[in-house]
Amino acid sequence: MSEKCKAKLINFVKKSVFADFIRGLYITFSYNFEGAMTLKYPDSEKWIPYRRFRGLHTLNKNSEGKELCVACELCSRACPTDCITVIPEENDAGRGIADRVAKVWEVDLTRCMFCGYCEDACPTTAVRLGREYELACTTLERGTRSRDELLLPQPVPEALTGGVVAKARFIRSADGIKVVAELGKVRQRKL
Amino acid sequence: MPELGLIIEVVLIFIKVYIVGMILFMLPLPLTWLERKVAGRIQVRLGPHRVGPKGLLQPFADMVKLLLKEDIIPDKADRFLFKLAPLLAMIPAFAVFVAIPVGDTFTIPGIDYVFKLYISDMNVGVLYVLAIGGLGIYGIIFGGWASNSKYSLLGGLRSAAQMISYEVALSFAAIGVVMMSNSLSLVEIVKSQGGGFWNWNLFYLPVGPVWFLIFFIASLAEINRIPFDLPEDEGTLGSGFHTEYSGMRFSFFMLAEYIAMVTISVLAVVFFFGGWMPPIDPATFGIKVPAQIMSVWGIGWFIAKVVVFIYIFMWIRFTLPRYRYDQLMTIGWKILIPVSLITVLVTGLMRIFLT
Repeated sequence: MSEKCKAKLINFVKKSVFADFIRGLYITFSYNFEGAMTLKYPDSEKWIPYRRFRGLHTLNKNSEGKELCVACELCSRACPTDCITVIPEENDAGRGIADRVAKVWEVDLTRCMFCGYCEDACPTTAVRLGREYELACTTLERGTRSRDELLLPQPVPEALTGGVVAKARFIRSADGIKVVAELGKVRQRKL
Repeated sequence: MPELGLIIEVVLIFIKVYIVGMILFMLPLPLTWLERKVAGRIQVRLGPHRVGPKGLLQPFADMVKLLLKEDIIPDKADRFLFKLAPLLAMIPAFAVFVAIPVGDTFTIPGIDYVFKLYISDMNVGVLYVLAIGGLGIYGIIFGGWASNSKYSLLGGLRSAAQMISYEVALSFAAIGVVMMSNSLSLVEIVKSQGGGFWNWNLFYLPVGPVWFLIFFIASLAEINRIPFDLPEDEGTLGSGFHTEYSGMRFSFFMLAEYIAMVTISVLAVVFFFGGWMPPIDPATFGIKVPAQIMSVWGIGWFIAKVVVFIYIFMWIRFTLPRYRYDQLMTIGWKILIPVSLITVLVTGLMRIFLT
């Protein structure tokens, strides 16, 4: 019997006992035992992004607690969407690392496209894009974030590498909806 | 004045019809939930889980949604047929269950009344089931025609062609069962399979499994489920014959479809898996079990087998892609019908020479 004939015969037998069909059914049945890879966001879980994530802006302080921002306005110039407003002022009281500090540092999140050019432009590493990504709000005012708020410490500390799913609580408030992650309880994402 | 016994019989039949009807009306609720959960499981996601515990109340939410939806009749539709079609699809699906036995008899202890666990034991049960089940196609064709939409019409046409092709193979499979069991009555068919799983028609070697496969494939096509759901092929036809239907009318079609799935599962169990007969009969080992316990036990087995079949239908739905139209016809006419003709011959020869 020639090779071709043999292959044909094997194919016929395979077809008549539904071999491929049964293999397909076996595969889908085995998925039953894998468990869902659904992330229960926002009910009870939240994704903690990696450090490279570009979320809400943060303004940083140095180890002595002084503001790194020197209000050079380079971020504002670099911004392709013109969403950063910086107004400088003089301050000798040691608020910042230099005597020039920001009186106003505002970012309009409704226009920001999180490109990260402000980060690149910043000479003192004061402005960084953080890992906060729940920015939906009910009023337009909440779309603008100013200096005081951005100076607050990050909910996800820099030490955490991220890339995990944390247990979370769902909170509904006047400011909008927040999902607060409990960083102690994390699990790896299923792939 | 008729006898009291007759009146009781008639009243009992009414009660049985009512109970069966109510069960059938309620069945799509758990079945939609089950189908979506099975889909979720197979696709490594959760399925409905927000309405009620484990999403169990999801069907009720769906029901409320369907009830509140606007009932749209397209402008140029044939209004009478458009309204008639969902009913025509639904009523035969219910009517089939008149002939379906869930068990044999239950002798009520104390008064020694023999309660039949079926509405009617017709001597042409198989014929009745196939004939009435085939009527459901009118609903689909009318729905497709009356909507005055090309997608609906194409869905209806496909459905008609598919039904004609596969009704033949399905009837052949029924003939095979009748030959193996020597009766057209569904109760008799089940009784002929009693005594243990080796007596089931499925294990009537070598033709039993072949008959089962023919029956299974043909019935998949009959009830328009994947891989043969061409009449409602959402990729090419919108959603086929019910494109223009909304609200309750649409849900009648869905109801009919789910009940058709249950019907086919029940028929598969009755024809090939011994109906209410448990796989291993205690009587074969000489253990005496009261008849009442056996009949309740039998109903349990019947339901378990039907559930397994329903699961298999859903499992197949989320495993296989849809066949192309010409492939569908090839399978029907070039494979199933010749194979079933040969199997009829083999079964007939076996009946003549082996018994």
